[in-house]
Amino acid sequence: MQIAFNRSISEVENMVNRLPGSDRILIEAGTPFVKQYGQYGISRLVSLWRNKVGEKAYIVADLKCMDRGLTEVRMAANAGASAATCLGFAPTETIDEFISNCQNSSIDSMVDMMNVEFPFEVLQKLKKIPDIVVLHRGVDERVNNKEKAIPYYDINRIKGAYNSFISVAGGETIKEINRTFFNGADIAVVWQAFFDDPGNTGELAETFLKSIKGYGKKRN
Amino acid sequence: MAKKGTEKFNLIINGIIFLFFLFSINTLLGFAVLVILIFIMMKSPGIKNKTISYFSSGNVAGLDLKKLVAQATVPQASRNSLEEIDRATSANIITAFNAPRRTKKLEKNKKYLQVALNGTLAEAREVLGTISQSEKIIIEAGTPLIKTFGTDAIREISYLRPASYIVADIKTADLAEREVAMVANAGASAATCLGVAPIETINDFISACSTYGIDSMIDMMNVENPLLVLKRIKAMPDVVILHRGVDETEFSKGKMIPYYQIKQLKGAYNIKVSVAGGDTLREVQSAIFNDADIVVVWKNFTRSDKKTGNIISGFLKIIR
Repeated sequence: MQIAFNRSISEVENMVNRLPGSDRILIEAGTPFVKQYGQYGISRLVSLWRNKVGEKAYIVADLKCMDRGLTEVRMAANAGASAATCLGFAPTETIDEFISNCQNSSIDSMVDMMNVEFPFEVLQKLKKIPDIVVLHRGVDERVNNKEKAIPYYDINRIKGAYNSFISVAGGETIKEINRTFFNGADIAVVWQAFFDDPGNTGELAETFLKSIKGYGKKRN
Repeated sequence: MAKKGTEKFNLIINGIIFLFFLFSINTLLGFAVLVILIFIMMKSPGIKNKTISYFSSGNVAGLDLKKLVAQATVPQASRNSLEEIDRATSANIITAFNAPRRTKKLEKNKKYLQVALNGTLAEAREVLGTISQSEKIIIEAGTPLIKTFGTDAIREISYLRPASYIVADIKTADLAEREVAMVANAGASAATCLGVAPIETINDFISACSTYGIDSMIDMMNVENPLLVLKRIKAMPDVVILHRGVDETEFSKGKMIPYYQIKQLKGAYNIKVSVAGGDTLREVQSAIFNDADIVVVWKNFTRSDKKTGNIISGFLKIIR
């Protein structure tokens, strides 16, 4: 499970401290967070989470890279992130550059398929396949347009053809997360619940973790 | 409001009957009174204003009143006068947000050179030192700079260049309102949003920009037909950026900046067009020749040396 943090840095510190120390939780530095605090914000999250979970700590920098794959990946890697994201509708050259740079600095590459109608077509054009594909329904989309659904059926299609992990973002309730894992996703991204109720971070994470436990066992 | 309306209606009916009687008594007399009445109507400013305010208040009621108070009180100004909107919104912002805001706006029919800063903050500081203080130069806080140093980068630039127009190239793809609020409070005069982002995000972005009193720029990178995007959104952005990405430029030389789209866009909508992705003097020349309002350059400005100042004065010569 991946939890995205988008609040101010002091609040985020507080929230991270309340989380149960499980290596099944991935911490994400959300795009607004990165844009507000920059590299410093990411490295702060990294050190916090390392203290808690040790070497297995996994931090995702949600850069939403659109251009200049090299500069941005280097920046995230220097800050200590374990993975960075790139937009699926960026030019193919950028995604290629992004993925190869991620490999060079030995972090995982995530390609965010927000607003991409056919993720499959994007993947076909690439030279190398990213480590993780993110299927994403944007927050603004969800709030203003209730009809748009997360394309769960894409999960198995991509997993069948390529050897990459699938992450699903944009579902917030326990029901949606269960559905996500049931459909074969490897990672589910949540943030709204944590954003709305930072005091309950600990309990929320516990309930989410409990509900996904069964699916993890099945696969192992 | 309804009662007032019927009263007005009755007045008009009475007037017509009165005129009819006059006409039946004496055609010439009726005609003379009619002319006098029309003359009074035209001269009297009170009547004119009343009707106009009646219509405009109807427009405001049609808007979404749930939006922020600041926006709700913005009068429905015509879209083609940038300055009018600016004044109206800034008056509201001062009371609503109490943030250090830029008052400088882009002027119509003026060409600008936008210099993007993308290195480290120290480099940005140096480069800023070599750029002359000109009205025609826009400073851009590049995406990598913002992602590395956060909003502090914008604050720093706006501190160093209090009189300049500053663009925060945040390339919003989601959570538009929060990102706009962030950069507006940091002192940016404009923010960018991706044209490939969901339509809902772009709509949110443009309305948030007008709420916070900054200019909205839509970056059409990797968008094949910008007109199709513009057709789908509710309100028009202030600036549209035609953009060829850096990675694209480096790895596939064949891709061209679509200069022909500049005229297309400007013909169809009342917006400014900015061109990014060309870095040589020649490319800047052809962008200006094709009627672009803003030209973005960055390649020669990541590191400062003695040449930087010369290059800029070279660019400025073309732009004038």
